[in-house]
Amino acid sequence: MVETRDLLNQLLDEKKLSYCQDCGSCTGSCPMAKALPGKYNPRRLLQRVSHNLPELLKSEELWLCAWCYRCTERCPQGVQPTEIFLLTRNLASEGGMIPENPKAIMREIMRSGRSVSVPDGFDEWREGYGLPPIGATISPKAIEEQRKIFGEECLRRLEA
Amino acid sequence: MTYLLYPGCVASVRELGYEMSMRAVFKRLGIDLKQRDDFNCCMPACLVHSVDYKRGLALTSRNLAIAEEEDLPLMTLCSSCYGNLSRAKYLLDSNPALKKEVNGLLGEVGREYKGKAKVEHVVTTIYKDYGPDGVKELSANPLKGLRAAPFYGCHLFLPQRYTGFDDSEFPQKLDKLINATGAESVNYHEKTSCCIGCGSFFGKVSDEAGLKLAKNILDDAKSSSADAIVATCPFCIMQLEVGQLKLRESEGKEYEIPVIHYIDVLGLAMGLKPDELGLDLRRISVSPLLEKLGIN
Repeated sequence: MVETRDLLNQLLDEKKLSYCQDCGSCTGSCPMAKALPGKYNPRRLLQRVSHNLPELLKSEELWLCAWCYRCTERCPQGVQPTEIFLLTRNLASEGGMIPENPKAIMREIMRSGRSVSVPDGFDEWREGYGLPPIGATISPKAIEEQRKIFGEECLRRLEA
Repeated sequence: MTYLLYPGCVASVRELGYEMSMRAVFKRLGIDLKQRDDFNCCMPACLVHSVDYKRGLALTSRNLAIAEEEDLPLMTLCSSCYGNLSRAKYLLDSNPALKKEVNGLLGEVGREYKGKAKVEHVVTTIYKDYGPDGVKELSANPLKGLRAAPFYGCHLFLPQRYTGFDDSEFPQKLDKLINATGAESVNYHEKTSCCIGCGSFFGKVSDEAGLKLAKNILDDAKSSSADAIVATCPFCIMQLEVGQLKLRESEGKEYEIPVIHYIDVLGLAMGLKPDELGLDLRRISVSPLLEKLGIN
């Protein structure tokens, strides 16, 4: 079994994190750090993954990474902060700590197969622009498949 | 050439103008699009993979498995779908143990990801199948005098190991495709910045951060005297258009800078009409740019 913990440990290990030179390329490249100075700092966040995990799992910052991959692309030591943060969120999620907004979007995805809900009468509107119908949801069979793959436990996490 | 259209949630529900434009241009090019009603959301890594990495990868690669069943390359409208599908492909192709487990989950619904699926995006398709030289030939109506500010959008080119489409620090391909239509790609600092549109869903905090970044991008594009921002992703287009509407309301800022997709630029250069390209659906009027080009 490939466990989340193993994947995370692989990323944290490979001697890479210990090679971090504290150069701050990650923070200097980060759009969220630029937009939220003093509130979000991926370099510090990375240190907390190694040194203060239980506290970090409860924090909002863990969910602020906007997943742009600039830090990953630029780290001179090959650390992959983006993937590390995504995996760390798995641990928060296991403990039932998923913020409300992301949870609501994922509930919609699991209900309709789409991250954005389709308004009533939308296909008629599309037709008016010469576009083919997309249906209120993806096909029922596809919804059944995606819910099965996501699994009861993960579905429960979204409802909690 | 036939592609399997991966419609994407935001493109097919919120960005009809882009979808119209893409369909009109591809029809003119003779590119066939096969459609299905059973693709699931690409399952953004920042959301679904954050709950469960492996199940998230399985859900994303369910779409790759369908593409393999069809034996056709997937073509996405959204750069975020493109990045997310490319990421799943990279992670599974480079980790046989993970791929095996993900296939265990896919096997429960009778599917399998073999590793053959190809992922393209509207812009990568144009670059790969036509390139700047091909676009030049297609441009019967060169867009002389149009100053276009390219906005690459993260997931088209980052990280390089997942998509491999362009250089990760100095991408040039969108500039080349713009210049091939006779328009002039404008250089500005924010060209390769992030708008956080597809990656931050934290309510008020994300909205404020997004608006701040949009303002930087719009200010910079405006000071480079661009006639339009040319994006590749429906999320970027929304952030930069809605950002203008919000800044007009909150700060009285009148940017009035049209934000269009590259496929609109190509369509105009090919002589397609603005209404065929869905340009009347844009949130910020494109009239100034059409006037400058002498297009009615």
